[in-house]
Amino acid sequence: MQTRLQKIRGHLSEDIMRFGIIAAFLIIMPFASEYFFQMKNIMNILQNISLQGITAIGMTMVIITGGIDISVGGVMAMCAWIAASLMKSGINWGIACLVALLIAVLCGAVNAFSVSVMKIPPMIATLAMMSMTRGLQTVISHGTTLTGLPESFQIIGQGMIFGVIPIPAIIVVVLYIIASLFMKKTVTGRNIYIVGGNPEAARVAGIKNKRVLFFSYIACAVLATVAGLVFVSRTNSAPATLGTNLEMKAIMAAVIGGTSVTFGGKGKIFGTFLGVIIVGLISNALDLLGVSAYYQQFIQGLLVLVVVILEAIRNNRAAKKR
Amino acid sequence: MKKNTIVSMQDIVMSFSGNQVLKKVNFELEKGEVHAIMGANGAGKSTLIKILNGIYHAVSGTIIIDGERVSINSPSDAEKLGLAFVHQELNVCQDLSVAENMYMGNMRRTSLGTYDKKGTHQRAKQLLELMGVDIDPYVNMRYLRTAEKQIVEILKALTQDAKVVVLDEPTSSLNEREKQKFFEIIQNMKDKGVSIIFISHFLEDIMAICDRVTVIRDGVNSGLFYKGKFTKDELVDAMMGQKKVVEQAKVPTISDDAEIALELSSLCRKNKFKDISLKVKKGDILGICGLLGAGKTELARTIFGLDYYDSGKIVLFGEEIKPEPYKMVKKGVSLLTEERKSEGFVPLLSIRENATMSILSQFKKMFVLDRNQQNKTAELLANKMTVKMSGIEQTVGSLSGGNQQKVVIAKCLANEPKLFILDEPTRGVDVYAKSEIYNLLRKAAAEGRTILIFSSELEELLENCSQIVVLKKGKIQKVVKSAETSKNELLSIMG
Repeated sequence: MQTRLQKIRGHLSEDIMRFGIIAAFLIIMPFASEYFFQMKNIMNILQNISLQGITAIGMTMVIITGGIDISVGGVMAMCAWIAASLMKSGINWGIACLVALLIAVLCGAVNAFSVSVMKIPPMIATLAMMSMTRGLQTVISHGTTLTGLPESFQIIGQGMIFGVIPIPAIIVVVLYIIASLFMKKTVTGRNIYIVGGNPEAARVAGIKNKRVLFFSYIACAVLATVAGLVFVSRTNSAPATLGTNLEMKAIMAAVIGGTSVTFGGKGKIFGTFLGVIIVGLISNALDLLGVSAYYQQFIQGLLVLVVVILEAIRNNRAAKKR
Repeated sequence: MKKNTIVSMQDIVMSFSGNQVLKKVNFELEKGEVHAIMGANGAGKSTLIKILNGIYHAVSGTIIIDGERVSINSPSDAEKLGLAFVHQELNVCQDLSVAENMYMGNMRRTSLGTYDKKGTHQRAKQLLELMGVDIDPYVNMRYLRTAEKQIVEILKALTQDAKVVVLDEPTSSLNEREKQKFFEIIQNMKDKGVSIIFISHFLEDIMAICDRVTVIRDGVNSGLFYKGKFTKDELVDAMMGQKKVVEQAKVPTISDDAEIALELSSLCRKNKFKDISLKVKKGDILGICGLLGAGKTELARTIFGLDYYDSGKIVLFGEEIKPEPYKMVKKGVSLLTEERKSEGFVPLLSIRENATMSILSQFKKMFVLDRNQQNKTAELLANKMTVKMSGIEQTVGSLSGGNQQKVVIAKCLANEPKLFILDEPTRGVDVYAKSEIYNLLRKAAAEGRTILIFSSELEELLENCSQIVVLKKGKIQKVVKSAETSKNELLSIMG
């Protein structure tokens, strides 16, 4: 029982550290910038979080299978642009979104096919997908931004519940609760951990590895597209640059949240939730402090490296202690 | 301390998260000696060795090597002190050649300072020939079977001019003939003044080769035996204390008209096995043996659908089938694979999740898993296999090797298999656990389950199986009744 207690304490201490980082931001930032606690800024943070947050759910699932999906930004941009252009041509926005999600399913399925059937390393397979989707998006959009979308569609991104809670924030929280329960309590959720933890053992146990991978990659592409649609709805525009650098932020959120990119089978949706908040706060802080976008990209990359190194150090130490 | 002592470990204490696993253990190794360390699963053997290797740091105690007190903080320290370790779980570079693996870290260089491929392979070839091992040094490790890899790993220790070589379960994947060869290698090393620490569960091997035996039980020394001056029973007593297994279940006797559970007809796979035709009756325990490369493991994996076959027919429970692992599990077939670490379990997940891995959908209620039901099943399975654990939430990665094997067997039993295929089921498992596993298999057979054991341990097959199929170079050489044959006869059929 002792080890169990220690285990619980171990898990908690990691999340406590994440809560601590969030608390530190909330305490320090108001001193650094008077705008920090203004309603407008808080909304801004929440909106950024909704874009990265929804994407990071799928990313976490894929990383737990032992893979990675760097095509999320491209898939999101292409699918969201297609949805927007369909709406502009007068098609019902619900159907337009459905078409976009179906295309996302296709993208995810192609990724999963490359990874599970052709055994291509996930990084390369999804890199190809990223390039294809970005390219196609440029072809059909000619790099233009679409605006003037139906007002009924804009409610998703701009509406408030009780006049204070933005609908995107509710979507994020609901999706996180569903995903967290899904990973903990369903057969497919547990199989994702098993396949990530040891694919061969999973196969011997009669688990259909390919099916699990298809599910994860498709979920990842679909969630990224959902995030994109929410963004388009909120801003009433589908820019060609949508989702740029998004894979980096989603990976960062997952890794800060305790998901292992070194080996599969380790990670938690709740951890990613905290990770997303931290990433959101970091970007916001950099914005408020007037750090240029180029430096921000550098800092993001650096942060990912630091977090991954920290994880590696912890793994090495754990291996020594058994 | 005596003058010819090379390694002396004194009063070693070790604990993991407050749990004392070694309580003042002593161990002494003399020059040119083969000294065995024995103990049940989880007794602390591996921990003691890992301390010597610098992987763990002892809480207290002294290590003296060659008369000098040393502190070993990392495996590279150990290497500098002339200690070489051959681990049970092999660490090889699959896509480098045999020679490159043997000389890893000290490959030959040409006069220009570049890597001398020819020289390295020639030297490897000489060593292989000297030791009488028939392996091509140019072949990549990937294409060797486990036993061959093991031999290469042992030879690797020889290339490092080690004073002390530690062998962890070196014979577990070797068959009888290879074992003889291996003993010759050990004798050669001994003659050169190399001292050897030998960790094994195989009593016969230890009695055959070791000069002394140190026995550890529950973290304390429980006996020191000298060659020829002890019996098997004394050794087992020292290892097990009071808990010995009483043999209960009987080897099955099958009537001629029993149902046929599995039928293979002229199953072929190019270069692996050929024309395998076999009928296994319901409730029978059938053994399959053969030398390395005879096609044992390949056949086991093919029946389960992990590997393909080129032609032939597989009929399972009266129905022709194209095997796929998920199909087989659904039909009530389980496979225990030869490679435990890479194919057996998920180290990061708990005993509960590992044991119930293949039957998760049974716990589905509406959309979610019924945790209570899963806990109960896992608890039951773990207790059935007497896994030594702090609870079912302990991760399998933190268990000792033998206990991991028990969890893997528990996983295979979870789907109540009607046909249970085992490939080297007792590798790395202590005597007590071994007889427990045998008992379990016999009981399962008595319940009408069919069992297929692929093994290189002939005693195991003779003791448990009604019949033994002998494979040779991928073909069935002969089928013999266990009661009417002997180890020597089997050996002569195999070779």
